[in-house]
Amino acid sequence: MHQTLPTRSDEPIYWLMFGGGGMIAAIVLPAILVIMIVAGLISPSINDGLLSYEQVSGLLSNWLLSLILFGVVFMLSFYALHRMYHSTHDFGIHSKLFWFAAYGAAAAISFICLGLQLLIYVRLF
Amino acid sequence: MSEAKSFRKPYIRPVSATTWWLKNPFYTKYMLREGTAVMALFATLEIVFGVFMFALSTDGDPQCYMWWVRSFLGNPVIILLNILALGAQIFHMITWFNLMPKAVRLFMNKNSTERVPDAVTKIGLYCAVAGATVVILVAAFATM
Repeated sequence: MHQTLPTRSDEPIYWLMFGGGGMIAAIVLPAILVIMIVAGLISPSINDGLLSYEQVSGLLSNWLLSLILFGVVFMLSFYALHRMYHSTHDFGIHSKLFWFAAYGAAAAISFICLGLQLLIYVRLF
Repeated sequence: MSEAKSFRKPYIRPVSATTWWLKNPFYTKYMLREGTAVMALFATLEIVFGVFMFALSTDGDPQCYMWWVRSFLGNPVIILLNILALGAQIFHMITWFNLMPKAVRLFMNKNSTERVPDAVTKIGLYCAVAGATVVILVAAFATM
């Protein structure tokens, strides 16, 4: 059987999300982690302090900020699970099952987050 | 594939699938670099968990969200893991920016093969980190 066209790989799409997610992990994740550490240390109340209920409802009721948060979660989950999937190869596991598990988990995490954000946006509107 | 039985007995050097990277510091550094992705996933799951707890709190009673921010983020184990994740992300940042000039080859102009110095790319990226960190932290602390 002759194959006239070479099979096209879907890897560039995942690699793009890996590259973009790696950038986000390097550029914005340290600041997000600092905020979560400080919020854990100061124990905010409902309407006062870092990551108080008031502040986060202000963030999630703004569609642009909420969309940016979704972008960060989406890129980070695909980045992290792409890297972890390729690490299974280093441990001697060469299974396509892990491909489905990794990208399936990344899609589940990010779209569950988007669904919850939409729900919150509608409830707070 | 040939049906003939092969009588070759090639020597295959035994390599442990789980501990090979501990014997050479270069491989150990490589595996630590790849391992920073686990901490990035942990931080992502924390954020999604927070969004979930906030969604449970939108019916007027914020106690689910307050549990997340006070008892979950305030748990000493979680604070320690977050500090570990911060260290891992800074290690990821350094290794990621070190390979960036190798991955993206920038030339001075169209007609030359002279490349933009690696330090320029790296300094630009570190400036982006400093700028993003300042903007996010100022926005977070100014609106609290």
